[in-house]
Amino acid sequence: MFEKDIYQLIRGLRAHKGNEREYIQGSLRECRKEIRSQDMDQKATALMKLVYLEMFGHDMSWASFNVLEVMSSPKYIQKRVGYLAAVQSFRPDTEVLMLAENLLKKDLNSPDKITIGLPLGTIPHVINASMANSLLTDLIPRLSHSLPAIRKKTIVTLYRLALVYPETLRPAWPKIKDRLLDENEDPSVTAAIVNVVCELGWRRPQDFLPLAPRLFELLTQGGNNWMAIKIIKLFSTLTPLEPRLVKKLLPPLTSIIKTTPAMSLLYECINGIIQGGIMDAAEGTMEGDEVARLCLSKLRAMLVVEGDPNLRYVALLAFTKITSSHADLVSQHQDVILECIDDADISIRTRALDLVVGMINANNLQAVVERLLKQLRNAGQASDAPAPVQDRDRHEGIVAMADEDDEDMQASIRPKEQKSTQAPPLPDDYRTSVIERILDMCSSQTYANVNDFEWYIGVLTDLVKQCPAVPSTGGFGSHQVSVAMDRPSVADAVGAELLNIAVRVKAVRPEAAMAAQNLLLYEQREEFFPSAGGGGQGVLAAAAFIAGEYASMLPDPEAVLTSLLHSSSAQLQASLLISYLQAIPKVFTALTSDQSTAWTLTRQTTATLLIARIVHFLEPLTLHPNLDVQERAVEYLDLMRLASEAASSQQTDAEGESYAEPPLLLTQAIPSLFSGMELNPVASSALRNVPQPEELDLDVPINSSLQMLLQQADSDTELDDTPTEVYKYYHEKASAATTTYQRPAADLLDAPEVNRSPSYQVAETEPLDREAKERLKLERRERYKDDPYYIDSERASGASTPMHNILRNANGEELDVDAIPVMELKLDRLDLPADRERPASQRVPPAKKAKRHFEIAGDETLGGEDLQTLSASLSRHPAGSRGGKKSLLEVDSSGLSALSLSDDAARNGQSRVDVERRQHEEEEMSKAIKEVERLRLEMQRAQERILTRDIPEEGTMVKRKKKKKIKVEAGGDAAAAELGEDGGAVGKKKKKKKGEEGDAVVTDTIPAADDGEADVPVKTKRKKKRHVAFNE
Amino acid sequence: MINAVLVFNNNGQPRLTKFYTQLDTSVQQRLLSEIFTLVAARPSSSCNFLPLPPLLAPPQTSSTTTSPESNDAPSLVTYRHYATLYFIVISTSTESPLALLDLIQVYVEALDRLFENVCELDLIFNFETLHAVLAEMIVGGVVIETGLDKVVEGVRAQGRVAKRPINESRGGLSQGIWAGR
Repeated sequence: MFEKDIYQLIRGLRAHKGNEREYIQGSLRECRKEIRSQDMDQKATALMKLVYLEMFGHDMSWASFNVLEVMSSPKYIQKRVGYLAAVQSFRPDTEVLMLAENLLKKDLNSPDKITIGLPLGTIPHVINASMANSLLTDLIPRLSHSLPAIRKKTIVTLYRLALVYPETLRPAWPKIKDRLLDENEDPSVTAAIVNVVCELGWRRPQDFLPLAPRLFELLTQGGNNWMAIKIIKLFSTLTPLEPRLVKKLLPPLTSIIKTTPAMSLLYECINGIIQGGIMDAAEGTMEGDEVARLCLSKLRAMLVVEGDPNLRYVALLAFTKITSSHADLVSQHQDVILECIDDADISIRTRALDLVVGMINANNLQAVVERLLKQLRNAGQASDAPAPVQDRDRHEGIVAMADEDDEDMQASIRPKEQKSTQAPPLPDDYRTSVIERILDMCSSQTYANVNDFEWYIGVLTDLVKQCPAVPSTGGFGSHQVSVAMDRPSVADAVGAELLNIAVRVKAVRPEAAMAAQNLLLYEQREEFFPSAGGGGQGVLAAAAFIAGEYASMLPDPEAVLTSLLHSSSAQLQASLLISYLQAIPKVFTALTSDQSTAWTLTRQTTATLLIARIVHFLEPLTLHPNLDVQERAVEYLDLMRLASEAASSQQTDAEGESYAEPPLLLTQAIPSLFSGMELNPVASSALRNVPQPEELDLDVPINSSLQMLLQQADSDTELDDTPTEVYKYYHEKASAATTTYQRPAADLLDAPEVNRSPSYQVAETEPLDREAKERLKLERRERYKDDPYYIDSERASGASTPMHNILRNANGEELDVDAIPVMELKLDRLDLPADRERPASQRVPPAKKAKRHFEIAGDETLGGEDLQTLSASLSRHPAGSRGGKKSLLEVDSSGLSALSLSDDAARNGQSRVDVERRQHEEEEMSKAIKEVERLRLEMQRAQERILTRDIPEEGTMVKRKKKKKIKVEAGGDAAAAELGEDGGAVGKKKKKKKGEEGDAVVTDTIPAADDGEADVPVKTKRKKKRHVAFNE
Repeated sequence: MINAVLVFNNNGQPRLTKFYTQLDTSVQQRLLSEIFTLVAARPSSSCNFLPLPPLLAPPQTSSTTTSPESNDAPSLVTYRHYATLYFIVISTSTESPLALLDLIQVYVEALDRLFENVCELDLIFNFETLHAVLAEMIVGGVVIETGLDKVVEGVRAQGRVAKRPINESRGGLSQGIWAGR
């Protein structure tokens, strides 16, 4: 029979260029057949092929039993294939692992030293807690095997055992320690032990302190740089516990730094000094200062060294670790670090970026940000560059391909590394992170480092152009994309920042409005949003909001309105469209609400034209699939229809003879919708500071008869004739409806003095006399006294006329930097005089080169002291939640932290307790087993009794039987027929017994008391049910 | 500790995959292709450390806080590029980045010693040897041997190392067998 060996498979793969998939499928089919063959050679070959194909993503878990078969082969060559297959394909849930246990034990005890290596290398990959327990006894003797190679493999294997079964260390650790302390031990074994100790060390450093003298000896002996690196790493976890070590370590570390030719050792020395806190501990002493200077100068040298980017990378890593404690030392080397921001290598750039964020201050912020911006501008968008590579991701796996060029593959891989040298485009995630960092740097501590907000607004507009396309086309599987969609894009963040500035820094509001206008203008759209993916579009929401809110400051509101109403706007995402819809009437108001000039014919025409355009834009949107868009469109559409009515019916001043009032709907009613309170930033913790009113009981239904009311409402609508009204309202010509609305507009005329007041706070649509108004206000204030969302107009001084405020500020009336007003919402000050000045700000901008001062409004909050606790709880939260999520390749070693290894009494005490507990458990177990046995016997007896009693009224027969039985026993010559009957009964009895025994087994497996037995399954069932309900 | 060792060529074809944590085959492949995507975009002048691929990236919220738990999670991707092959090591922070680069170097030198002027073809056809060499250097994610001689000796003790099949070599002999070439 023809069969392929592994070489033929690989050759075949290479020959079937273009249709590898089919070839592989064919090969897999063959393997399936071959692996079932009786011939072990064939089996092993098939397995080898499967392992090869597994590398390309072809699952071989179905062959796990065959893997086991090959593993148990007596021939080493085949055994090796089996073990390799086990390493590559067994998963924690592989069932045959249970069966493998004995085989592993057997091979561990093999006389052949080569064979022993196989299970030693395999166990770390397949181990689980129960297996660890049983393999332990076979592994520990291997620690004293004559071959060093086996000893060191055993040590590492025991470490992996300990990870899943921490108890391993109890018997194993003393032996491992002896090996470490043994000076005649093979150096490679010592090195392996140091590696293991280094892994264990950070979990329980206190247990390894006793080893410090030996480790120190190993470090100073030198010879093995690999081991020295690990020892230094270990020491860096020990020094925080034992301060005396610092002094001891300083001289050898310093001398290593000065003398070693190995860069890796040099670096790890510096790293160890930093991480172990040696720099802090030795601060002030002469050696300490010397070592700090030495470290930093070496690190600096690593940064500037030519031609070795690796050193630059690790040096930046080390710098990052120092910044938190020695920011001043790091900033001395600012110049070289800043150079790294522009490094050709993105890994280095990212590191440098991390570092720079930590050392930013008011003086270097602008330079750094400009540098980053330039970088973004020059790099160009990268979205399409790696496309061919990413195509592969959409396949299920990697297909074994025929290779392009065999000449290439024969090139020796020995020579120095070679790489292609094309310039890399900036990947999107780097772009994103740069933008985020810029925003972080600038906005940190409420813009403490920003001196020039006009510049900052310019930066923000620039950033919009640099935003990467929204859906990360890289797409590692579809779920990634959906995650990306859920997250707010970086453009949103830029928008939020712009909005934040516009709200907080009143002085630059005109500039912010200008920026918003630039972003919104249709003519400039190509410039700002060049990428087809809609990179920076997220910013439009904020821009539209700014344009609407500060419409009066727009340089060209009409152009903005035109752009907002552009037909392409309707195609935007719903979230943007919502913001647009809100902005449109606001800008419209800014254009039409002027009441100081007369209502001329031209004004009327412009207004009607604008209205017509808005109506035209809104009409299709009333059918938008997004409900929010739909609702707003409907609302404003009707408002606009009213406005249109008002504008066309209002008398214009004919021939300019008299002053004609513009329609009040335009000048008063609609503006009042939008010009309420001024917006102020509110601290995120403010809400928590609102005291709960005592009389508020959230458990009491607001309306106890809600259910009834709802039912009533349901039945009402059925009977009502509202549908026709609604129909009329929406479908008849607008002119029919306007008559009803004309009246309030006209009524407004009666109270012109109210309208003239600068305040639009209280949006009256009805005229009220002063007294009534005052009373209303008081009432309202009383009512809202405890409402954090209600900002009293009286209290918020000057907030009513943003325009006025801006002008005043811009004109420099309040240039006193120290008296920057800040909004503070204090409940206890509610009844203070209305025009009270707000308390001065706590923040003073660095006034070195202040050509213009900016006020930055702080967050509004109540009380204020809670802010810290909130942020603390926020920062605590992720740390806590992290425990739940495990990284992909992570090997969990947390089990180790509970196990003490130290030699002191505590450990003995603990282990004694442990032993006692186990003994106790065992006793209980045996007691339980005895109890079960007793019960079983009892039941059996009862069963027998029942059996004898079971036979009904034929008591005589029983008697006879008994007699006969006795007779049989006595005489031994029973009739065949009678025996048959008797045997049947016995059989029955036996069956019953068996059933009982089965029960007994069940009780055995459940160690709890026997009454628990019945409950357990029921409980689990119920739990399952509940779970389902939850999901629904 | 070391979490995984990967070898693939310039086209992303795997030549060796070794994970010291059990992972599903499909996840392994995803990780492989993510790393390849990252590594392939890098010019020769750049350093040998990769940012974490998306699959391994820690949850974003905890990036600032360095809890002791993070020592268990892989945080370092080190690679080296030799001719047509990329050698990648994924490890936690308990490994030294520069030492890992040397470790890769030792691995490649050991292969070179065993195959005499090793090239990718040797590794394709003898991937079992690749595993054997690795097993002499790393067990269960912990480095057990860094000495070149001892590694080579350990592999040789397990049996003769086959060269690649003779007809795969540069000679004209191969033409007849590789009909599809």
